[in-house]
Amino acid sequence: MILETRQLTYQYSSGKTLYFPDVQLRAGEKILIIGPSGSGKSTFLNLLSGVLPNQDGSIILNGHNYEAQTRQQLDQLRADHIGIIFQSFNLIPYLSGFENAKLSLRFSEERRTNVSDISASITQLAEGLGLTSEILAKQPEAMSIGQQQRIAVIRALLGKPALILADEPTSALDPVATEQFMTELTRSIDPSEQAVIVVSHNPTLTPLFDRVVQIGEAA
Amino acid sequence: MISLALASIRARLFPILLVILALTSSMALLLAVDRIKVATQNGFNQSLSGVDLVLGPRGSGIELMLYTVFHLGKPTNNITAETFNDIAQDPRIEWAVPVALGDSHRGYRVISTTDEYFERIKFAGDQTLQFLEGVAFKELNEVVIGSAVADALGYTVGTSMFVTHGSGALGELHDDFAFQVTGVLAPTGTPTDQAIFVSLEGYELIHLGWTNGSQAISLESLDILKIPKERLYPQTITAAYLGLSSRLGLFQVARSINEYSEEAVSAIIPGVALTELWSIVGSVDSAFKLLNWLIIGIGIIAMVTMTMTALESRTREMTILRTLGATPLHLSSIILAEITLISGISVVLAVGLVRLLTWVSIDLMSEWTGIRIELIWITVNELLILGLIVLAGLIASLIPAGMVYQRSLHQGFSS
Repeated sequence: MILETRQLTYQYSSGKTLYFPDVQLRAGEKILIIGPSGSGKSTFLNLLSGVLPNQDGSIILNGHNYEAQTRQQLDQLRADHIGIIFQSFNLIPYLSGFENAKLSLRFSEERRTNVSDISASITQLAEGLGLTSEILAKQPEAMSIGQQQRIAVIRALLGKPALILADEPTSALDPVATEQFMTELTRSIDPSEQAVIVVSHNPTLTPLFDRVVQIGEAA
Repeated sequence: MISLALASIRARLFPILLVILALTSSMALLLAVDRIKVATQNGFNQSLSGVDLVLGPRGSGIELMLYTVFHLGKPTNNITAETFNDIAQDPRIEWAVPVALGDSHRGYRVISTTDEYFERIKFAGDQTLQFLEGVAFKELNEVVIGSAVADALGYTVGTSMFVTHGSGALGELHDDFAFQVTGVLAPTGTPTDQAIFVSLEGYELIHLGWTNGSQAISLESLDILKIPKERLYPQTITAAYLGLSSRLGLFQVARSINEYSEEAVSAIIPGVALTELWSIVGSVDSAFKLLNWLIIGIGIIAMVTMTMTALESRTREMTILRTLGATPLHLSSIILAEITLISGISVVLAVGLVRLLTWVSIDLMSEWTGIRIELIWITVNELLILGLIVLAGLIASLIPAGMVYQRSLHQGFSS
């Protein structure tokens, strides 16, 4: 089991409380988390990644229970086991595509050891996603949206983290490009060691995933 | 962290260059002022060695030192040759070299003395004066010039020259008696380089026939060879350098001269007078230093302000790094690394700039002010001062670093 959540809730300072469904995720699985805007999708992602403190319920990632971790250990857990793809890709503007991709190894010794040759691994992932070395050398502002998205994917996948979290990664794409992106993402992961959670408000993505989890029931 | 900090600096190059410029200038100013001060002190301290006491008219010891040794200001009074001879007879005094000042040549001070001056007066510890060419004066019309005089005026052995009465440019020329250069002294880096030396007798000779600062009778109407030798020995001198047979009796000899009843004279110990001088100059130096530290403080504030202002626009960058597993400590380290780099680059540039400026101005400074600044990279003391500045910058940068730390702890991944 890569991820297991139980009775997860989160209360904002305003008093509003979100209740999240339990999730079990095995290697090779792809889950779509779906829900309307403001339903708490990003909050769920922040909880899963350990950025927001776990208030109630439990999260276990690759055998590590979040409750037993210090804040620093959670940061390290995220660095070692989670790759995140954002809606706006969040590349650092002053770094090249290659340097942006490499950033994911900077804070994780474990992910660094999974990569014997950084340059070759980035190039291999890039080629699989249709990116050339010229594009890798460019800064984000000189890339198309699709190219930026692929750099963000390489960054998330490099070093083989167990869990790939993607927050609305296809919101800027048309249906054809969306399907192509999901195919490329699925093809790029190792089904024996990695799993994917994609958060979206778009129900048309449902057929591309193994399971769908609906969130957004506020109390 | 360093590579990320470097990349971040590259991305914000222009404002960071301005901060580096401000810090570099203020640090260079601090170093330059300090080096000029050290060079001035060394110059003063090395100007006179081997002299135990300076004998002169009663008054300020600093003033006596300034006009006899450093050729600054005008003598206020003279002492009689009779008093000088009487004091020089003291068995505790091994040697005595009289000097008489007053005239000049094209802005350079003329010092009349005895040829013993070149043996007894030392500089920079125990270095004796050396002749670059020629020898000391022997005859009435012979003159020895310092190296800076020779360089500036292009004089060599054999050059003829007239002396101007008084030290101002408008003084009357002693054009009835020409001196001839017989020796050029090797450079010493002291006021000696800017001086012209004539014998006491030669100096007295050109003043024969002068009353109240004006020439009444020209030497051309006199047969110089017929003037009795004793008539050419001056009646008064400006000061005298004294060497004791034993330095143990220094204070006793000084006291007995200060209590000399026949004439109001005093003896000063050069080292003591210099210490007094530095204590006066010290307050100006402190004011300068305070000003410099204020400038550096403003530079550091500018650096921290720039970093804090940039934090708003860097929120996204910090969030991205957090998603990748960066701890708040990592993010704070990036800020600290950036500020260390900015301060470090400023230090290196300031040291380089000061060395370049020293190299460019070393001869000009020496010629204009007589101060010779040493061409060095950095001293241990300067390194400590600059280290202190970098440390102050780092301490100040804890504010933005702390802000990043706090902010990133409460920030999620909202895209």
